[in-house]
Amino acid sequence: MSASWVHAVGLASDMAIMSLLALSAYLLLLVGRVSFGQQAFFGLGAYASGVMSALFAWPLAAALALGVVVGALCSWALALPTMRLSGLHYAVATLAFGEMARIALSALHWQRPTEDGPVGPAGIEGFRDIRWLLENDVSAEAYLLLTLGLLAAVLGLLMAAERTRLGTAWRMTGQDDVLTAAQGVSVARMRLLVAALAGGLAALGGGLYAHRTTYIEPALFDPMLGVHAVGYALLGGLGTALGPFLGVVIDLGLLDAARLFPGWRMVIFGGLVALFLRWRPRGLLDEVLVHRLGQWLRRQPPAQPPNPPTAP
Amino acid sequence: MLDVVQLLLDGLLDGAGYALVGLGLSLTFGGLKRLNLAYGATAMLAAYVGAWLHIRHQAPAWLVALTVVASAALIGLYVERLCFGLPRDESTQPRGAPIAGADGREVVALASSFAIWMQLEQLAVNLLPRHLNAFPSLAAEGQWMVAMDVFGSVSGVAGGELMLRPDRLALAVMTVLLTLGLARWLERSRAGLAWRAVADHRVAAHLVGMPVSRLQALGFAAACALSGVAAFAMLSLDAQVTPMFGMWVLLKGLVAAILGGLGSVRGVLWGGLLLGVVESLAQSWLGALAREFATYALLFIVLVAPWRASGRSAL
Repeated sequence: MSASWVHAVGLASDMAIMSLLALSAYLLLLVGRVSFGQQAFFGLGAYASGVMSALFAWPLAAALALGVVVGALCSWALALPTMRLSGLHYAVATLAFGEMARIALSALHWQRPTEDGPVGPAGIEGFRDIRWLLENDVSAEAYLLLTLGLLAAVLGLLMAAERTRLGTAWRMTGQDDVLTAAQGVSVARMRLLVAALAGGLAALGGGLYAHRTTYIEPALFDPMLGVHAVGYALLGGLGTALGPFLGVVIDLGLLDAARLFPGWRMVIFGGLVALFLRWRPRGLLDEVLVHRLGQWLRRQPPAQPPNPPTAP
Repeated sequence: MLDVVQLLLDGLLDGAGYALVGLGLSLTFGGLKRLNLAYGATAMLAAYVGAWLHIRHQAPAWLVALTVVASAALIGLYVERLCFGLPRDESTQPRGAPIAGADGREVVALASSFAIWMQLEQLAVNLLPRHLNAFPSLAAEGQWMVAMDVFGSVSGVAGGELMLRPDRLALAVMTVLLTLGLARWLERSRAGLAWRAVADHRVAAHLVGMPVSRLQALGFAAACALSGVAAFAMLSLDAQVTPMFGMWVLLKGLVAAILGGLGSVRGVLWGGLLLGVVESLAQSWLGALAREFATYALLFIVLVAPWRASGRSAL
């Protein structure tokens, strides 16, 4: 197996994991919230599922599921006190929460002795040996397939959800919460639901990340990670759940993988996001483009011209 | 008793630094009602330009100071044009903002200045790739020991000595003078009146013939120049600059500015001092991690506190 193949598999896994985090930021953007704290749920999910599989020998699926529950609950709990904040104060509050979670994880010591030495979160030194994949002989390719499968399932579910009344209510909430409330939709309920979903998604990404790298540390979950998630969603577009995925592909797939601009990736990515926000504020795949694409797809194959009515 | 006084003193001196850092941030917010998240990165890139001059060309401290302030203002202009220079009065409902509600444009500016943050930080690291970079030092040698016999005689506790770094004290005095001077200038001068008019009602300011867009750019650049002043003052005490500086400036400044009520110039001073004292107490009771935690916990509590229910939109 060549080194470039290993690199490609790793990159593809990273892209799928980052897409999950970007989708969680995207969901909140849909209901009109900019969160700079999604990295906290990513980190909490990573720690929760890592602890379960490394310390308590839970199977991967159960550990991931528990991570999702933890992420969803924490995100829901954060949404309660921040419900009434304006956009700016909400963004700063989530940033503060993200840092509080990171520091709390830095203070977490929970180790168990094993024959290979102690295992578990060791504060600022991080959490080594989340070795479920190695112990169960799961290859990197199989894990990539699992990650991609989960991402595809999430994307499919989200795209289906957006076609329902619920998805419409989310977009309404994001467009104008007062008008939405006047239509009889509970804005608070929508935002709580979406916050829980977004926290769960981020935690799922975190759990997958922890098991892929076998090592996590609190410093990984700094605000830059959350900013990237929001950046991917805004760059890719808010018109469809495929948008955040496209943002990840543009940044990680094109700029990073191609190694075209070593050292200048952030300069270009940051500039791109700022320019996009100025001239295309809802990203590449915005609602207008998605609608046009949908129409265009529906027109293929071209509809049969109606037969002229023949006079009897 | 004496160690508590020492803690409070340390906290107040640290807090003055936070207030200095938050001053420009609060001024921008007061004028534009927008939060500039690229603020810390602006200060950091400017400091890196200064450090580059210092390291590569052995520039003297005064030249570095001038360079840092001037480049902070220039970078501020760039940030303003790219992220905040949008014609905001074209309609009340901008077409296709990410968040189209009342604060749609606010969120666009927030997100795009966040993107510029990453850009500026990377530029700084490209300029000087090492983690630790030398910065001209103005730190004083040694510290003053202030005899505190007063406490001994008044409260019956044994007297002792307080440690006081003269350079820190000079920084605190400078901060207080700068803040009060700026607040007074905003209230008394014609330029300050113009800035407040733009902040108060852009359309009305435009109707009476004020060049709103140019004033906004000028004010923004001035606030960023203040961040350059703060960056030079803080870094010359440490004699070094690291890539963590941008994040530090933004977060400490943001907490100080929000504690003091975003947009209020005198408030930043109180916010910074409060933050400094809380951090200092948290560190002495619970350790270094708690100091960091206290910063964010304080910020979070102030943001979500129920007693702010009425003033939430006004801030």
